[in-house]
Parts: sequence; C-alpha cells; structure tokens
Amino acid sequence: MKVLVAVKRVVDYNVKVRVAADHSGVDLTNVKMAMNPFCEIAVEEAVRLKEKGVATEIVAVAVGPKEAQEQIRTALALGADRGILVEAADVQPLGVAKLLKAIVDEEKPELVILGKQAIDGDNNQTGQMLAALTGMGQGTFASEVNVADGSVKVTREIDGGLQTVDLKLPAVVTTDLRLNEPRYASLPNIMKAKKKPLDMKSPGDFGVDVTPLVKTVKVEPPAERQAGIKVADVAELVDKLKNEAKVI
Amino acid sequence: MSRDPIGLAMATMSRIASSSFVERMGLRTTIEKLTYQGTKSGFKALGVASRQFKSASQLLRPERLEAPAQPKTQFDLTISDEQQMMRDSVRAFATEVLRPAAAKSNDDEAMSADILAQANELGLSYFAVPENLGGAATERSPVTSMLIAEDLAYGDMGLAVAILSSIGVANALTQWGTATQQSKYLPAFLEENTLQAAIAINEKRPLFNANELTTVALEKSDGYLLNGEKTMVPLIDQAELFLVAASLNGKPRLFIVESGSQGVTIAKKPNMGVKAAAMGDLSLEQVSVSKDALLGGDEFDYQAFINMARLGWCALAVGTAQAVLDYVIPYCNERVAFGEPISHRQAVAFMIANIGIEMNAMRLMTQRAVALAERGKPFAREAYLARVICADKAMEIGTNGVQLLGGHGFTKEHPVELWYRDLRAIAVMDGGLHL
Repeated sequence: MKVLVAVKRVVDYNVKVRVAADHSGVDLTNVKMAMNPFCEIAVEEAVRLKEKGVATEIVAVAVGPKEAQEQIRTALALGADRGILVEAADVQPLGVAKLLKAIVDEEKPELVILGKQAIDGDNNQTGQMLAALTGMGQGTFASEVNVADGSVKVTREIDGGLQTVDLKLPAVVTTDLRLNEPRYASLPNIMKAKKKPLDMKSPGDFGVDVTPLVKTVKVEPPAERQAGIKVADVAELVDKLKNEAKVI
Repeated sequence: MSRDPIGLAMATMSRIASSSFVERMGLRTTIEKLTYQGTKSGFKALGVASRQFKSASQLLRPERLEAPAQPKTQFDLTISDEQQMMRDSVRAFATEVLRPAAAKSNDDEAMSADILAQANELGLSYFAVPENLGGAATERSPVTSMLIAEDLAYGDMGLAVAILSSIGVANALTQWGTATQQSKYLPAFLEENTLQAAIAINEKRPLFNANELTTVALEKSDGYLLNGEKTMVPLIDQAELFLVAASLNGKPRLFIVESGSQGVTIAKKPNMGVKAAAMGDLSLEQVSVSKDALLGGDEFDYQAFINMARLGWCALAVGTAQAVLDYVIPYCNERVAFGEPISHRQAVAFMIANIGIEMNAMRLMTQRAVALAERGKPFAREAYLARVICADKAMEIGTNGVQLLGGHGFTKEHPVELWYRDLRAIAVMDGGLHL
C-alpha cells in the first residue's frame, strides 16, 4: 500500500513569535523553522504502518518555499522513501488541497495522512478540502488508525468522547496530538536521507492556479496582561467582579 | 564463566535494554526506570563480566577515515544540511529526554538503562565505526562529533559524558587501532547490547600531567604487564573495555584492557559534578595483557589523542554554557525586584551579555581547533588555547549562572547549581594545562 504524507514548513514550536511591525503577519527573519508537529505525527504514523508491513512505500509531499526541502529531508530521515516538493510561496489551504489532489491523481496512494492543522495558520482545512476534491472519505482528528481489508478504521477525538469511523480506501486521515509520539531521526538515517530521491515541481507542472483568495487584513498580538491590584475586602471584590469585570 | 552479582545485574539490565526498550514503537514514552541499587557505590569488585569478542570479519588492513572534501571558501563556519539535521535531532533528544532526567541521574550517580537505550536509538556510535565494519562513517568527522557533544551537554553534561564515553573509545580505535583491534572490538559498539567502554587517563596526584604517567607498562615476551591507579574514569561500573594511558619505556601509550582481566579492580568515586557519568577509580595490579593490547603502531599520536579528549570537554562546556545562557535570559526578564525586571539593572544585563560573548568565543576557538584536526593539520596550539579559555570561562559562566538567580540559584529547584558543578570539570579533566 502506498501512503502519501503531507508535511509543512512552519515556525518552530519553541519560538516565541513576534508580529511584524506593519501588522501584515509574523516576523520570520532569522526565525528557526521546522516541520509542523502534527505533520511529524503523520509521518510517524506512516512509518509505523510501514514497519507493520501494511504500507510499502511512503511519499512525503510539501508545498512551500525551496527551503521546505529541509522538512522533506527530515521526513525522509524519519523513514519516508521519497519526497516531492511543489515550490510555491504563500499558498492558501485550497491551493494546497488542489496541488495535493493533482499529486494524488498521479501517485494513486491508498492512504493520505496529513496533520489536522498547521501551528502557524491554525486553519484546519487542507485535509477536509482534499477529501472533498478527490471524493475520498475523511477521518479527521485521528487518535488511532487501523488499516485492514481494504478499509481504515479511524478513532476520532470529538467533544466529550471518541468516535470510530470506517473508511473505504483510498481515504484521507488527519492526525491529532495523541495518535503517536514521533521518534527522533537517528544519525545514520539522516545520512541515508541524503541519498533518497526528492522531486522538485512547480504549481504550473500540475496546471493548478494557487492565487490567494483570502487577504489577511491585520495581525495583532494578544493584549499585554495588566498588573493586578489588591482589594481591601470581599465587598469591594464583589463590586469589581460585578461592575468592572462583569463576570457575576 | 562465573559472574559476580554486579556483572549479573548489569547483564540482566542489558538484556532488558536490548529487547523491549529498543522496540521503535515506544521511543519517547517514559519507560519504568530500572533501578540497580546493587551497582551503586562504594563496592570494590571485579569489573563487569567480560563479553566474548569475536571478529565478524578479519580486516587485512586497518580502516582509516579520510578528511572530508575541502570546503570552497577559506573561512566558512556554516554547517552542512546533514549536520544541521543531526543537531536538530540531538538537541531535541537532549532537551526532551536528558534535561528532565538530569537531576535524578545526578542523585543516582548513574545513567538509567532507558536513557542509554534511547541514546543508542540515535545511532551515535555508527559515526565512530567505518562502513566496512558495519558503521556509517565514511570520513573523519570531529566537527560533527563536536556539535553532537555540545548538543548533548545542552541537555546534561553528566549524561552526555556517559553517552559519549564509549564513542570516544571507538573513535580512538578507528583512528589508530590495528586491523586486529578494529575487527575484534569495533563491531561490538554497534550491537544491540552496545559495548560500554571508557578512557582512563587521569591519575590521583597533584599537578597531574597527562604526559608523565605513573601507570607503567612493562614489556614481556608475550605482552605487557600493567601497574597503576587511574581516577575519574567514566562508566566505571559498566564499562567492559578500558583504554588505559600508561608509560611504556618512558613514552605514554594506550592499552586496551578488558574489565574482566585478572588484577583489575574498580571503585565508584563520585565527584563534585558530572555525577551521571558514574566516574570512579580503576586500579591495575600486575594486569597481564597480550601484545595486541597496545593501541596502534608507530603512527600513534598520544598528544593528538589527549588534545582531542580535551576538545571534547571544551565542546561539552560550550553546550552547558549555552544552557546557562538560555536559562538566565528568561529568568532575569521575568524576575521582578524593585518594581522592574532585574534585567533592567546593568550589573545583571552586562553579566548576561558577557556569558553570551565568552560562550561564543569558547565555541569558535573549539571549532577552529577541531576543524584543523578534521583536516589532518597540526592543531595542538589551537587545542591548547581553546582549552585555556574553556576551562577558565566555563567556571565563570557556571558561577555567574548561579549568581544571576540570586537565592534561587543555590536551591535545587533550578538546574544552575548542577551546571555550576559540572562546568568546573573542564579545568580538571585529562590533566592540567601543561604543554
């Protein structure tokens, strides 16, 4: 079974981001970039499927700048077999979904695993859009994935409990935090990753228009926390909660 | 073969380490910590029951690693993409696994079996063993080794020393070992139950000089007879193989001594810092070794060996110094006194700035020396300079790290007291600053 995994290059989760001076977005100069943590979980799940003998080939795909090669190399070091990078900057979720659909048409994977969302835009859209565009079933927010007999059982984390869905393959699965704990890339595997194939593509190769449809108007940092005050007695506290904070 | 209780405990631990822990599935999951109280401290016993070393394939010539291709520019300190990926992987391991385990490993004076198993998963030893013997090393890579040492020490210096101890021995075997020595020992570093080994240089005496050893090797018709006392040997109760520095006909050489040899006794002797490395004393009393125990032939360069060992300590110092810097900056920005963050005080801000400047100087001087070594060029002078600045500034950074946290620095609730103790090791290890 061939598995396609999408990976995204985002600001490293350890970085404290700063809003750019012109409020157009987040300041990315000299900021450490890394693979989106949910994508890491997606890669790990694919590698585990391969280790179980369920998957036979893992293709890692990224849509992003040329530097996103680093994230594909990381996926290759973790255990993916080959990579495809579609070089394009600032592609929005619909554009990414269209590009992934074109790659799905070409590669014909039986399972596509994506992170449920990227930690930069928090859009949570690409997986769902890809499923709709390709007509495949979708199992989102997966906390458990079991492939057997031409179908995949996905346990989903929903409000107040778990839901298990059974999808006919091919299908799209998006990962939640508790699906697995990704491994560290071992050093010999990092060396091997250098020798694995990585195809460079552009949106034009697939005839996909990735012009943005949504314009970001403004990005603002959260309001700074104000210093606290001391109140004299309970009466004053109740008064402030009622009239200033308006919580009771 | 009779096994002493310690050996048996270690063997059991190793078996567990090689089965369930190595399952890829639960890599980052915390595994129940194994305790092996019996091996803790203060015993004097035979070394760990020795393994049977069997040559997988007999080499005809020793494997040597060449210098990597010359970089294109004259002064280029950027690291390759692969090195960056390795750093990312090792740094993540150090931050997520080593750092949280640092305090307990310090108290236990040992590295737990699950940390060893997880470190083995990273495949660090593959870089010390040439491809022909099953490893992944295709060229000499002291620079990569230095980066790895730095990143491991960013998590915890004691655990970094425990992890790197065996790799240091493997590196020395790759660099100088004879074909027989390489065939016999190097494959064991890659086995699931990895060979634990340590280098024994230090001796207990004032103004110890690594070039004037009191441990002596006497040449006999069938081998050598070793006598002497070594101290501050890492992994003392786990190592199956020691690389012992001893004087042979007045010249310092290294001898491969299996821990089970007759006349070898060990005693755990924890020091002020680097406790997780389980250091101790190694005593050699009329230890008889074969002709094959002498590391390398005439091309063996003891001074280069000592200098590389010292540069290893420099790299560890840089990693821990970086940990101090990354810890004190947010602390001093958040800690409020007199109505404002203490970082607004110049006495505090300048101290932090100096840590940053000095740590970078330490790093650059270490990198410079290591880069020359990688090229196969003379690096004794650069190694000495790096050692001087690292020994001096590591201690200062350790002290200032504690100082910046005020009373908090003295408590065990913050890791700076541990780093302070660890950073004092740099000036002591592998002899004082004698030329």
